[in-house]
Amino acid sequence: MRPAAKIAAGTVVVLATYVYLVLERPGASGTGALVALAGYLLGSVLIGLGAVDRLSTSSVTLIPVAMAINIVVGQLALATGIPLYLDSIGIVIAGVLAGPAAGAATGVLTCVIWGLTANPTIMPFAVTAAEIGVAAGLIGMLGGFRKPWWAALAGLLTGVVSALVSAPISAFVYGGVTTSAGTTAITGAFQAYGASLFAATTLQGLLSDPLDKTVTFTVAFVILLALPARFRQRFAFARRYRVFATGVGSEGR
Amino acid sequence: MTQDFYRPGTSLIHRWNPVTTLSLSLTLVVTAFASQALWLPAALLVFVVFPAALVSGVFRRLLAWLARFLLPVILLLFVIQGLYHQDGPLLDLGPVGVHLDGVLFATRTALRLLVLTGAFLLLLFTTHPGELMTALVAHGMPPKISYLVSATMQIVPAFRQRAHSILDAQRARGLRTAAGPIGRVRALVPLVGPLVLGALSEVDERAVAMEARAFGATTRRTSYTVIADSAAQRVSRWSMLVITIAVIVLSATGVIR
Repeated sequence: MRPAAKIAAGTVVVLATYVYLVLERPGASGTGALVALAGYLLGSVLIGLGAVDRLSTSSVTLIPVAMAINIVVGQLALATGIPLYLDSIGIVIAGVLAGPAAGAATGVLTCVIWGLTANPTIMPFAVTAAEIGVAAGLIGMLGGFRKPWWAALAGLLTGVVSALVSAPISAFVYGGVTTSAGTTAITGAFQAYGASLFAATTLQGLLSDPLDKTVTFTVAFVILLALPARFRQRFAFARRYRVFATGVGSEGR
Repeated sequence: MTQDFYRPGTSLIHRWNPVTTLSLSLTLVVTAFASQALWLPAALLVFVVFPAALVSGVFRRLLAWLARFLLPVILLLFVIQGLYHQDGPLLDLGPVGVHLDGVLFATRTALRLLVLTGAFLLLLFTTHPGELMTALVAHGMPPKISYLVSATMQIVPAFRQRAHSILDAQRARGLRTAAGPIGRVRALVPLVGPLVLGALSEVDERAVAMEARAFGATTRRTSYTVIADSAAQRVSRWSMLVITIAVIVLSATGVIR
């Protein structure tokens, strides 16, 4: 299969899984859990394989650094006790510099490496990480990284999509529970007011993800702005779609 | 926080081809989620995951890590689902009540999560990540993925080392690192900036060096290390694949409930 076909097939599998879960409303006890898990797993494998096939050598050298940024900054954020994850800054940087495929590959593989080295329970969320990378690439293409407020707004929208995409995994695989007592209590409170488990995890995600992704995109914007223009322009994707504002700081073109 | 889950060993499972262990883990996870019956994930845990851990000598570590990852999650699960689930309460305690449905749901989810996490921990305890990557490449995974995973796992410790030296350098210049939540966020700025910019500036040189060593070549490569495999393992992998697909189909069509 060609790389683009793999990515398309993976995306279709993920969307079909989501639509099935929304329309059919299977109980979290029965087929819902298996469909959510198997559909997302297959989808992220296909998207990851297709995305990796499309990478140039300069993207391939960027991605390990981007993944290390995700992991180390994510752990720093965890250590400082701030109520944000900040574990996808590298995904956004890779997506904006090298395109949606690089962003998707960074996302999926970050989850795999987290799973291999720190916590295997994170792996089912690989699709969300891929979605963030693809969104960052598309937003870069549309010029969303030329101005800080556009980047922040794009982060907000990406966060909304992230919340929708990860809700089935939170609901059907984890029963609405995370290691954080705070978010779990929020999910529980929504359920107590009569929301279904799926609706409750969606609402809980909509409370936390948009804020986290707005901060993530803003931080990524600042980091990218601080990079030498010569470095930014080395990536064919960033050149072709004129991802960055010309003028101040772009004298190296 | 990063763990070296793998410990070298000589047990049967340690000697398996990593792809066989991976197939076993995936089959266990899919099967555990296929049915509503509580006995199925419980049986997988007691009759497959635990014996496999005993055979490979990782049973105590498996229990310790399962407790570490899942104990808080499972406790919360019972509190939240046990109390909040709809339908009639099993035990009425004034404003809150214990609901049978909720307790069943929490038990089922907890058992499934134990199989999910246990199956993957079993893989990580008995399989070196590098060997897993080599074996997967031998089975047709793009070598780029193997490079990306291995390179990142090597970069992260160096990266963390650099974070420490930057922190020390900034402290020497008078940075205060422990003063309330806002102070801590502010302390992140002079740390993350140099860390990320320094790491990204090394990317360039590496790309040129790798291109010069035919990294982008598309021909199929031979491997320096050969991972042992056997006909029996090949047969078992194919049968696990068939079982996995059958379980998904039977569950989706409603034959298994």
